[in-house]
Amino acid sequence: MSDSPTPAPILAGTLDLLILKTLSVGTLHGYAIAQHIKRLSRDVLRIEEGSLYPALQRMKVKGWIASEWKKSPTGRKARYYKLTAAGRKQLGEEESDFERSVAAITRVLRRADS
Amino acid sequence: MTPREIWLRLTAWMRRDDLSAELAEEVQAHIDLLARDFEQEGMSRADAVAAARKQLGNVAGLREASRDYWGFPKIEAVLQDLRYAFRGLVRSPGFAATVIITLGLGIGANAAMFAVIDRLMLRPFPYMRAPSTVSEVYLQVTSGARRSTWGTVPYTRFLDLRRDTRSFSQYAAVSEWRLAVGVGQATRVRKVAGVSASFFDFFDAAPETGRYFGVSEDVTPLGSLVAVLSHAFWQSEFGGRDVIGQQLQVGSLLYAIIGVAPEGFVGTVNGRVPEIFIPITTVPANIDRSNSQTYFTLYNWDWMEIMVRRKPGVSEAAANTDLTSAYIRSRNAQRATNPRVLPDSVAKPRAILGALRSAAGPDAGLESRVLLWVTGVAGIVLLIACANVANLMLTRNMRRRREIAVRLALGVSRRRLVAQFIMEGLLLSSLGAVAALLVAQWAGIAIRSLLLPEGSTFNLSSDWRTIGVAGACALAATLLTVIAPAFLATRSDLAATMKAGAREGTYRSSRARSALLVMQGALSVALLVGAGLFVRSLNNVLKIPLGYDASTVLDMFLDFRGLTLDSAERVVVQRRLLATAQTIPGVEAAARVNSGLFRTNTAALRVPGIDSVQRLGRFNFQLTTPDYFRVMRTRILRGRGFTDADGTAAPQVAVVSEAMSRALWPGEDPLGQCLQVSFNPGTRSESAPCSTVIGVAEDAAYQDVTDEQRFVYYLAVDQVDPSLFSAIIVRMREGKIEEGIERVRRAMQAAMPGMGFVVVRPVQEVVDDRRRGWRLGATLFVAFGGLALVVAAVGLYGVIGYNVAQRMHELGVRVALGARSSSILRLVLSQGLAFAAAGVTIGLALALVASRWIEPLLYKQSPRDPVTYAAVGAVMVAVALAASAVPAFRAVRADPNRALRSE
Repeated sequence: MSDSPTPAPILAGTLDLLILKTLSVGTLHGYAIAQHIKRLSRDVLRIEEGSLYPALQRMKVKGWIASEWKKSPTGRKARYYKLTAAGRKQLGEEESDFERSVAAITRVLRRADS
Repeated sequence: MTPREIWLRLTAWMRRDDLSAELAEEVQAHIDLLARDFEQEGMSRADAVAAARKQLGNVAGLREASRDYWGFPKIEAVLQDLRYAFRGLVRSPGFAATVIITLGLGIGANAAMFAVIDRLMLRPFPYMRAPSTVSEVYLQVTSGARRSTWGTVPYTRFLDLRRDTRSFSQYAAVSEWRLAVGVGQATRVRKVAGVSASFFDFFDAAPETGRYFGVSEDVTPLGSLVAVLSHAFWQSEFGGRDVIGQQLQVGSLLYAIIGVAPEGFVGTVNGRVPEIFIPITTVPANIDRSNSQTYFTLYNWDWMEIMVRRKPGVSEAAANTDLTSAYIRSRNAQRATNPRVLPDSVAKPRAILGALRSAAGPDAGLESRVLLWVTGVAGIVLLIACANVANLMLTRNMRRRREIAVRLALGVSRRRLVAQFIMEGLLLSSLGAVAALLVAQWAGIAIRSLLLPEGSTFNLSSDWRTIGVAGACALAATLLTVIAPAFLATRSDLAATMKAGAREGTYRSSRARSALLVMQGALSVALLVGAGLFVRSLNNVLKIPLGYDASTVLDMFLDFRGLTLDSAERVVVQRRLLATAQTIPGVEAAARVNSGLFRTNTAALRVPGIDSVQRLGRFNFQLTTPDYFRVMRTRILRGRGFTDADGTAAPQVAVVSEAMSRALWPGEDPLGQCLQVSFNPGTRSESAPCSTVIGVAEDAAYQDVTDEQRFVYYLAVDQVDPSLFSAIIVRMREGKIEEGIERVRRAMQAAMPGMGFVVVRPVQEVVDDRRRGWRLGATLFVAFGGLALVVAAVGLYGVIGYNVAQRMHELGVRVALGARSSSILRLVLSQGLAFAAAGVTIGLALALVASRWIEPLLYKQSPRDPVTYAAVGAVMVAVALAASAVPAFRAVRADPNRALRSE
């Protein structure tokens, strides 16, 4: 734990994108989603549980994700989330929006540097 | 929100308890997993669980945040406020009832007035296409000093204007009649509209069954005898059966029914809804006009109205110019047949477009102006009611000071508190609006007969326009009464209020409440002054000597319906009818008159030695039989009235009114003077024979009761034309007039030849009708003034009562220190009087300023009448004293023991 890098804040508006992207890999429960993002970001991105669960509820009423209770491999009951068709579409949009704005921000930063 | 999201939120809301439990379980699973991982990293079991708990942080907050997605948080907040407001009102039912009743009366007054004004002036006619482009044509000329405006014209005028104007895409002619419809015992007088075929093209109203009449059936001199029924008449008289092709006796002619108008179609009715529509070109023949073959070439009969639709892009001003030049051409054509038509340079003729509803048109009478004033008054009553409610709210919020302070201290946001107050206000004014509709429905039925044409419906439960107005009033009332008190209440000093403790011993006067109270008083005083002025004006009108006594006079309209009689037969029939009338039990005297009593009858009049009689004013004639003056109880001041000796062969004689005699022969003896009267506009009056003046009668008011120019002359009908169709008037001996009406009707009906039909009505009704405008102003102003006074008194009582309750402690101390009852009484009463004095002063000043504008609505009544002003001031002071007396006596009983013990 002591060697973990300083966590970076989740950029505003990217929480949905991260969750959607994570779920596009497969059906996961809440803890697994948080772990997955933490692992892939090499411990830089930490999702607060306090925002993860409300976000999941919000995405459920938006119709982007669906959930069901299942036994986990360890034998515990857990709620598993998966992407719906609407969620997949939403992911595509958010991904391209994000890439566009990252590219734009990067261009601005480079110009300012040179 | 997409529909899908709404659906998902809705299902989530319904399962919100389950969802909450599931979320808790899910979070617990998360903690377990996290703790297991921590344990694997080497922590002790207990430390791992604690660390996992810590990382999850505030689980309650997480659940609250999730809850926002299970349902509709904004709506839920509103509902919660509503529930809270409702509970608050249930806890103080006295306050709620006072507010609801006050607002109910205030809004109700406005809703009732709107409902009336809407029916009389505003509402577009059902089915009419693009009503904003449709108008009636009104004509204006100046004669003497008077500019008169009217909409009733000869058919020839309609043809002239239609031919000579280019601004209109549609023209229609309309005239409304009351005709006897049906035969035998089933005969009833019905409202019949004579309309041109083009009339129906103004509407998008396909007939319920059959068809409307076409242009080929609406031709001069006589159109086809076809009739269209109203839906209501079809239902009530024919039970909705197939009637197409059936025959129906309408007036004197037999019509074939060709169609039924759709439900709710009323045409462009002014007054009672028409039951039958017939081609307008069948009207002259139907009502037995002697000129039924020439009415479309002559200008001597004003009987119909013109309705037009402007072409797209034609402005009203342009249309008026076009109409005026056509009207001038038409007058020129008229002058060719009748040299009496005033030259354009004098008459300044104009034709203008105006509202289809006569009450909103340019010739609208006194009643319309009074109604608009009273609508303004209703608005003021609402203002007073709002002031009252605002005051009650302020008082209530002061009582709730502590509660508000506690809630603010607990961290409820000010915005949320204000939102709750507004919700409470909205709830109250919505309930007030419901009460208002009940009040308006009830009041509307009470004033309907005074204001609306007979047979009008007044059902507010389906009147969305009135309901909308009541709603808007309620909303305005909420804005006026709630927002300021809410902000004032939440601005209070928290610490001070909390420290003041449970006993609200300190008496605090509020400037806002005093100002509201004074405003209420002032507005009520102003309204009462208006009411007083209208009542005195009505009194003046009632005191005008009419020159006759209409109390037990009956007017009989004899409808001979298609009976073809030559003039000799007519003389016989009418003599016989008059004789019958004279022998009916209870009849004191009977006389024939040439037309209804209050019609305008003018003929070409010439008086030797006077240049132009017309310049002096308008002279009305009345053709009568000898008993006329006995029937009407019009006194003969000089000379004599007619006798049976003044027959066909005798020298022609005339009786003139006193005013006419004074105008024509000032300082001379009117007896023996000569009047030359010519009834045929074609012949010149110079060649007419002399009628010698044999008597002077007292001035009788046959036109406007308040008209000073009572120029009337009477001629013996037998000397003019004994065969003339006429009406009969009878004087009944004292007794029940209702019984008399039926007895007279039955006797005369039995004596009528053929399909003849008799309509009997008391002349008093007609006289009352002439004074209706004056009575209307007085009645409504008194009603609303009284209402305002009651509301203001309730307000004063509430405030003084509250002040006394607040000062109970102080008053107790005063009593303990030896204050006498009288001084306590004086203390409280003087407070009420101070409010009254301020209200009276401001109110009288207000009335003085505003009265200038109601002067034209008053008859011989100075709007600055000191008696009225003094009386109103006294009434207000008395009411203020009465309203403060109850709390004052409560103050006297202030208990010194309680005051001292609580110290």
